[in-house]
Amino acid sequence: MSAVAPVTRALPQSRIDAYADAAGDHNPVHIDAAFAATTPFGGTIAHGMLVLALIAEMMHAAHGEAWVARGRLKVRFKAPTRAGDTITASATVAREGDEGVEYAVQCANERGETVIEGRATVPA
Amino acid sequence: MTPPTRTSIAALPRGHEFEPATFTLPGAQVRAYLDAAGDAGDYGAHVPPLAVAALGLAALQERIALPEGSLHTGQEVDHTSAARTGEALTLTGRIAQRSERQGFVISVIEFEVSAGGRRVLGARTTIMAPGEGA
Repeated sequence: MSAVAPVTRALPQSRIDAYADAAGDHNPVHIDAAFAATTPFGGTIAHGMLVLALIAEMMHAAHGEAWVARGRLKVRFKAPTRAGDTITASATVAREGDEGVEYAVQCANERGETVIEGRATVPA
Repeated sequence: MTPPTRTSIAALPRGHEFEPATFTLPGAQVRAYLDAAGDAGDYGAHVPPLAVAALGLAALQERIALPEGSLHTGQEVDHTSAARTGEALTLTGRIAQRSERQGFVISVIEFEVSAGGRRVLGARTTIMAPGEGA
């Protein structure tokens, strides 16, 4: 079986700010606490692509260049990740065969809430 | 240079094609991306595909206004070949789907990134945005 080691990371506001600069996404819901307080989230939230990066990192660690050159991801963002949350990305093998391996992947916060779920595939 | 006109994503019809965008990801920018994400992986001279997708989305956001309350609700990425740091990348994209539900417009942006005619990745990004009357 193609086991994949989970990745756990805290996402404090400083990391969200750094990601906003690096990815060029300065939506105020991510970086402006005063603005974000007026939204239904009640505070800043991490970029979905920042949280998704944990899944990509996990798959790269397990599959290396095969992931970079041929991997596929399909996910839904199910809930916001609040600044300061700690997220764990994990994967379980859903199907494995001659054509490659497909994982059920998810990201969950420290309260056990799933914030991302979907599939990752690495063709053979 | 005049910045591109930004149109609310909720106003863009299905089939709308974005002007192609070109961008490069120098090693320093890739390093900044990995540091920000906290990814200590060794990608060699390659760009992590999700960095390509994220920076591609950023290029598209120069053309799209996201109304207050917009949410990124889904993401698909399929990698076809690895991009190398510093390579000139071209992004083409379109509104592949558009629907309305309970005052929100749900748009699927489909885009492709290529390098020198070689497909690097394709992606589908789902955005839920408040409609005009919301």
